[in-house]
Amino acid sequence: MSQSATAQAAPQSVDSSPGERVASTAPESAQSSHPKLTAFESVARLCGFFVILVALIFLTNAMITSGLRRIRTSEVGALNQVMQGKVNAQIVITGSSRALAHFDPRLLEQATGYTAYNIGRNGSQTDMQVAFLRAYLEHNQKPKIVIHSLDAFSFVTSREVFEQVQYTPYLSDPALYSALWKVNPDIWKSRDLPLYGYVVEDMNFAWTQGVRGFFGWSPRQDFFLGFNPRSKEWSEDFERFRELRPHGVEFAIEKAGIQDVEDLITLCRQNGIQLIFVYSPEYREVQKITTNRDAIFSEFRELSAQYQVPFWDYSDWSHAGDRSYFQNSQHLNARGAEAFSNDLAGQLRSYISSSEARSDAGQSAARPTLPFAQKGSN
Amino acid sequence: MLFNSLEFACFFPIVVAVYFLLPQRWRVYLLLAASCYFYMAFIPVYILILAVTILIDYVAGIYLERVQESARKPLLLASIVSTCCVLFIFKYFGFFTGSFVATAGFFGLHLSRPAVSIILPIGLSFHTFQSLSYVIEVYRRRQRAEKNFIVYATYVMFFPQLVAGPIERPQNLLHQFWEHHAFNLEDVAEGLKRMAWGFFKKLVIADRLALYVNDVYSAPRNCNGLQLTIATFFFAYQIYCDFSGYSDIAIGTARVLGFRLMENFDTPYHSLSVSEFWHRWHISLSTWFKDYLYIPLGGSRVSQGRHLLNLMITFTVSGLWHGANWTYVVWGGLNGGYLICGLYTRPWRDRLFRAAGIEDGSAVRKLTMLSSTFVLTCVAWIVFRARNIGDAIYVFTHLASGWNVHGITTEQFWLRQFPVAFASILALEIGQYLDRGKHLKTTVARLPISARWAIYATCVMTVIMFGIYKKMQFIYFQF
Repeated sequence: MSQSATAQAAPQSVDSSPGERVASTAPESAQSSHPKLTAFESVARLCGFFVILVALIFLTNAMITSGLRRIRTSEVGALNQVMQGKVNAQIVITGSSRALAHFDPRLLEQATGYTAYNIGRNGSQTDMQVAFLRAYLEHNQKPKIVIHSLDAFSFVTSREVFEQVQYTPYLSDPALYSALWKVNPDIWKSRDLPLYGYVVEDMNFAWTQGVRGFFGWSPRQDFFLGFNPRSKEWSEDFERFRELRPHGVEFAIEKAGIQDVEDLITLCRQNGIQLIFVYSPEYREVQKITTNRDAIFSEFRELSAQYQVPFWDYSDWSHAGDRSYFQNSQHLNARGAEAFSNDLAGQLRSYISSSEARSDAGQSAARPTLPFAQKGSN
Repeated sequence: MLFNSLEFACFFPIVVAVYFLLPQRWRVYLLLAASCYFYMAFIPVYILILAVTILIDYVAGIYLERVQESARKPLLLASIVSTCCVLFIFKYFGFFTGSFVATAGFFGLHLSRPAVSIILPIGLSFHTFQSLSYVIEVYRRRQRAEKNFIVYATYVMFFPQLVAGPIERPQNLLHQFWEHHAFNLEDVAEGLKRMAWGFFKKLVIADRLALYVNDVYSAPRNCNGLQLTIATFFFAYQIYCDFSGYSDIAIGTARVLGFRLMENFDTPYHSLSVSEFWHRWHISLSTWFKDYLYIPLGGSRVSQGRHLLNLMITFTVSGLWHGANWTYVVWGGLNGGYLICGLYTRPWRDRLFRAAGIEDGSAVRKLTMLSSTFVLTCVAWIVFRARNIGDAIYVFTHLASGWNVHGITTEQFWLRQFPVAFASILALEIGQYLDRGKHLKTTVARLPISARWAIYATCVMTVIMFGIYKKMQFIYFQF
């Protein structure tokens, strides 16, 4: 393959212009795969190949999108249920991965008798969570209650769309698209350029799920009514995290972040949905190293009081100091999620009962109550 | 502008279309304008540095032909020194002042480093060396001075090889700007195929392996021996695929436009000795150092001691060319050491092989030599890739310790990436093996057009679907 650069200097004259001296280079290969073609035929042949290639790219893109939309199980399946309007639950849980891994809708259903679904999104901030709730409302019947899981980082706005590829099959959805566009103005590339969202924005072959999904494959079911329990035991992540941050950790309280929470409140009010804020358990030690925790919780309480949204704080949960209930400092494991969901279900049942009692007693004008009259109806 | 960017995907077809539509006399202007645009996509103002280098060597070239014999050498030296000054200021100023301050500190003199932070212009070492090559060749009367400034500027700035080579000699490239390149489907098709192969190397192999290598080498002390070993093996393929991938894209891009650039790699990991490796790795740079440094120093036609010194000087300077860091200097020195050892242990090795009953040219002997050359190269790559000498020593000393099969993943590189990484390396080796006798090309060329197109489309789709598109720069851009 190697050729040394030992070509002799071509004869040159000073006066002529480039291209006027030497004959054109001849094709090197005697065994040419291209018979003598005119320039037009050559261009036509090249164009023909590229047309086929582009068609192939569009077809592959369509196949992946269709395949991903067909999946019924796991994370993709849960998203499909929401975007295809197949959820229609009466209680909807929103939030980040903490919502996703902590709130078991099956236990809430058992306790309250209402249908429930968890639409928490991994790696999402409040802005994305609101956007996803908006998309949910667009495609499903309105829930009666939205339980919003708060985090210490609830007032931090998104810097990027986490695992953007998961939304790619639904970028034609205006509500979802406009929310994603606010975080990532380049999202149009994923929507408008075929395969871009699947191969450029993702390095982990999510597209293979789409291809397999197209042929009827579905991943193992690990999402239950949108809830994704984590079977892992306590890892050493927290120790490493604490070592790396000897002066603790601080979460920004951004004005835009507060506005996002207010947007959530407004969205629920406009749709007549009862909103409940829940701060689900976190490992007790992490509370000590969050340097501005008081300021964050003060903001939660202020918003709760100002908009009369119940705020249930599980910071002092009875198992908050027990590592056997946690996967890491921020996430409960399956055992912890079950214990917490049972506790929450009890509180929710009491809340619904008292709200209904107030509603029955005609006190609805005095205090906000649950926007439904009959249990189990939708 | 990166080859692996959307911008280039738009830029290149436009340049090609306009290039072939324009009358020949205007094409060189188009190439110069396109090259300026290509370069200015990085840091626009740095084109002025390039302009200075071009101007110095253009004028020097013309005067080298005009001045008296006695003035030629001083003129050449003036040209080389001024061109190298630009390189020194932007690339080595911080390194040398830092080293000087550190040395002074060692002797108790506490000096502070000058508070100057200079961003290295992309590909500076490449176009500087290409410019130097021109002036030296004119001085040696092996190349006529180029009188047309536009043509000379395009020779230095030709966008396919502007930022990472191949470092062309004027004899090979300059005259091509004067030639008429008619639109030729053979050239276009061959060029596009070469580009596709380059993109496969860069996007599918190099950038995927980079995820692992970067994770491990950014914090080697957090990794176990198995991770360090895998990362070192991966880096060998990453740097090869990154750089040879760039060369393939550059050669292919130029070929589409009708230009022939020199080959820069010849399956270097198939070498049976370190010496052979350096004949097959970054050929344009190796031959540059051979022609303009090693041979002028006396090469091998001197005393034995001087020969060794020449080798060490050449490889140390080559190391320094790669970057202003002691790791590169040590890497260069290590390779020089390999060569010297290889030279002087050859009789012993021959005897050893004979004693073991391994015949000269036998498969076992070849395999042994190929493996040992690869391992030696990988050892040198550790120094090359490490952030500093301390990290390199840590990697050396921990390669064999604490292997944990369950702990081989990293933050960016999950388990599912491994099959793709190893399969792509295997595909590379198979592709290179089949390409050796050009049998593959001949066989494919004989197929009917539908079968050929199906093969090409499958290859392109493979690159698209398995590529990594994190806008990772080519490693050699920094040199």
